[in-house]
Amino acid sequence: MLRYAARRVAAAVLVVFGVTLATFLLMHLEPGDPARAVLGIHATPTAVAALRREWGLSSSLPAQLGHFLSQLVRGDLGQSYIYGVSVSSLIGARIGETAALVAVATAFAVIITVPLSALAASRQNGWADHVVRAVSVVGLALPAFWFGIVLIEVFAVHLHLVPVGGAGSGFGGHLEALVLPGLTASFAMAPILVRSLRVGMLEVMDADFIAVARAKGLGDTRVLFAHVARNALVPTVTLLGLNIAYLIGSTVIVEQVFNLNGLGSLLLSSILNRDFPVVQAITLVLGTAVVFLNLATDLFAARLDPRIRLR
Amino acid sequence: MLRSEALTEKGALVPIPGHRLVTRRDLLKYGAAGSAAVLLGPLAARSASASPSRLRAARTFNPAIQRGGTLHFARSIGPTTLDPANTIIAGDIYTLDKILEPLYLTNPAGQLVPWLASGYEVSSDHKTFTFALRSGAKFSNGKPLVAEDVVFSINRARKDAAGPLSFLDYAITDISAKGTGSVVFQLSQPWAPFLSDISVFANAILPANFGGQSEKEFFAAPIGTGPFTLEGSFTPDANSLTLKANPNYWQAGKPYLAAVEFLYVDNDNQRVLQIQGGQVDIIDTVPPANVSSLKASSGLSVDLFPAWQVDLLVMNERLAQFADRHVRRAITYAINRPALVHAASFGTAKPGGSFFPPSLEYYSASTSVLEFSLAQAKAELAQSKFPKGFSTKLLIDGGVQKWVTFAEIIKAQLQAIGINVQITPLDHSAFEATFQKYDYDMFIDYAINDISDPDEMASFEVDVKNGGSESYWSNYDNPTAINLVHKAEAEYDTAKRASLYAQIQEIVAEDAPFVALDYPPYIYAVSDHVHGFAVNPGGAYRLEDVWLT
Repeated sequence: MLRYAARRVAAAVLVVFGVTLATFLLMHLEPGDPARAVLGIHATPTAVAALRREWGLSSSLPAQLGHFLSQLVRGDLGQSYIYGVSVSSLIGARIGETAALVAVATAFAVIITVPLSALAASRQNGWADHVVRAVSVVGLALPAFWFGIVLIEVFAVHLHLVPVGGAGSGFGGHLEALVLPGLTASFAMAPILVRSLRVGMLEVMDADFIAVARAKGLGDTRVLFAHVARNALVPTVTLLGLNIAYLIGSTVIVEQVFNLNGLGSLLLSSILNRDFPVVQAITLVLGTAVVFLNLATDLFAARLDPRIRLR
Repeated sequence: MLRSEALTEKGALVPIPGHRLVTRRDLLKYGAAGSAAVLLGPLAARSASASPSRLRAARTFNPAIQRGGTLHFARSIGPTTLDPANTIIAGDIYTLDKILEPLYLTNPAGQLVPWLASGYEVSSDHKTFTFALRSGAKFSNGKPLVAEDVVFSINRARKDAAGPLSFLDYAITDISAKGTGSVVFQLSQPWAPFLSDISVFANAILPANFGGQSEKEFFAAPIGTGPFTLEGSFTPDANSLTLKANPNYWQAGKPYLAAVEFLYVDNDNQRVLQIQGGQVDIIDTVPPANVSSLKASSGLSVDLFPAWQVDLLVMNERLAQFADRHVRRAITYAINRPALVHAASFGTAKPGGSFFPPSLEYYSASTSVLEFSLAQAKAELAQSKFPKGFSTKLLIDGGVQKWVTFAEIIKAQLQAIGINVQITPLDHSAFEATFQKYDYDMFIDYAINDISDPDEMASFEVDVKNGGSESYWSNYDNPTAINLVHKAEAEYDTAKRASLYAQIQEIVAEDAPFVALDYPPYIYAVSDHVHGFAVNPGGAYRLEDVWLT
């Protein structure tokens, strides 16, 4: 298992390097000039050129890449062009918001998935099963940003139960502010999870050991959660891990809709302003998070099911 | 002669049905409490009982004014720096201008009013200006404003080569202090826009030598003469910023608010929902599409403020098609601007005519605009070198819904005269970089005037060599028009200047280097418990006159 993890980490470093390189090239090949964004439309070509030189943008692409990589190796992510402060301080101030959003969304996804799939599986082809399956198809089809706006209209604008947007203040306020964004993000992945866990549970229910468990005289609920769910969980955990990775990408949209100051909204504004160092650093952070999340998912699945051998 | 400035009243605005359009009269009334004190300032300053009389004036105009409270203001863009000389970003400007103030200021009615100066004297050759500083003006740390502060600040601004607006100060050759209460400016030539240039935020007054701090320390917690001070120290990229009332503010009794909290909400829908949900009191940049639904919400109003802004369709005269005057005129005739405005701005903007917006001084309403006429468009094209039409590309910033709608309509309208348009949407940075390299056929963008004087817009869009943008990257070059722009810069007689700018507008309308598509207003949604909020045509708003109920 240790050897497996070490090999995966080595592969992860390569993947993250590839992502960084691709981002670097895409950003620099796209037209658009951060110096113009800072100096404005009236700036003289001399002033623009001077600022580009100061930022090292006038040297060749390979030289810029080399400079970026050598900084990176020393743990320096560089300075933001637009904000004039270190990129690590910008990211440090925002990473918590994104992590909290991902955590809340994951929690919601689990809270929604487990009871719904259990309900559907235990009433196979009954009306509850049909409703759960229908709702999850509709959920799959709904774009997250639209669903988010509907939630805001109902729960924030009309019912005043939660804030419309923003991060809130204090721990309680912060948690309250994450309810709608968390729900929105979780709705993007809950439908797939519900369907996966339901099918998993149905398969397990036909297994002999379930018949044994019932023959022992265990109640329905005990059978469902202690025996069926545990065995049906492995594919769902794998799927959940993949979806959290997807979720990290979709925070860009959710943060926009709910005005959360996370990495996603910083990434978007930095792309639009051509703030290269910030874009590169955020892709690096998000890429690393996704790769390690996948690794963690595999290790966790192996723990859940000892039959899985990691080589 | 010491005099305070009060420029002539400009044309009244026509209210757009269904909207609460704020007229100049309204603005004067709204801001009466504030403007009165300011306009009376120079008089009051000379009398012994300056402060009490100003306070009384404010209270007489509106006895209902209440003090205290925090204004929650959601804006589309946050600040990156509070250094006035080194920014052109709206989020920076409309934050720092609450802390730092210039010698003159444009009020909501678009007029220049004395601010930290109480007036000025000018020499007969119009090359020496002597400003008298307002007595009693203090920085937020309690230190009085002195001439050295002005010399330091404007020298810093004009000598900063990277300063986005330092070009406005180029006529200044020397600044010196005359005692502590007066400052003398030497100009290289008679320069009519000078007072306007001095009023720009980039020329705001800081304490000399940053009050003994380093530049970095100073801008982390700037000390100014403005109605508000920064709470805590400045953090770029924070999602909110709080300003507190400055207890040493020179307009006694102001600001009325105890604090202002600016929140940064770049998503249009979020801003709209936040004011509908009562989470904030004011939002800026309301998308025109949301105006009608916001107006239907209770407890708030939608306010439109005229802007020194015009949306332009620019044509690349480096290409044979657009170097042909008949083609440009044909395109202008072919675009139905009232229909465009109706579809894309939901009636909030006014259809374009002259390249000067009506809110700008010396706008000429009698300019012979090439109004929509399909017959005239076809006739012009028939006279051109491309009588059968041609295919061309229209470059837009695809992130702005309004431009997308504009482009679709223009494409359909030009199709009618045989010009096939292919739309190229790019993101904002790529869009700007592309047209500035002349890698385009036509593009749509907006032009704004940063100051109250029209010289900036005239030279930026007409003076191909010295205007700074090769006639807004159109390469339009008409020596007669350029000559008139230079004449107007040196002309102090307002009637003669008006005539010069009328001629320029006439020539540009006939040459049609760009189509003035529409004149969009600034759109704000304001909660009913906010009073006294007004925006000047440059986009700036003062908050010392705002109060809450």
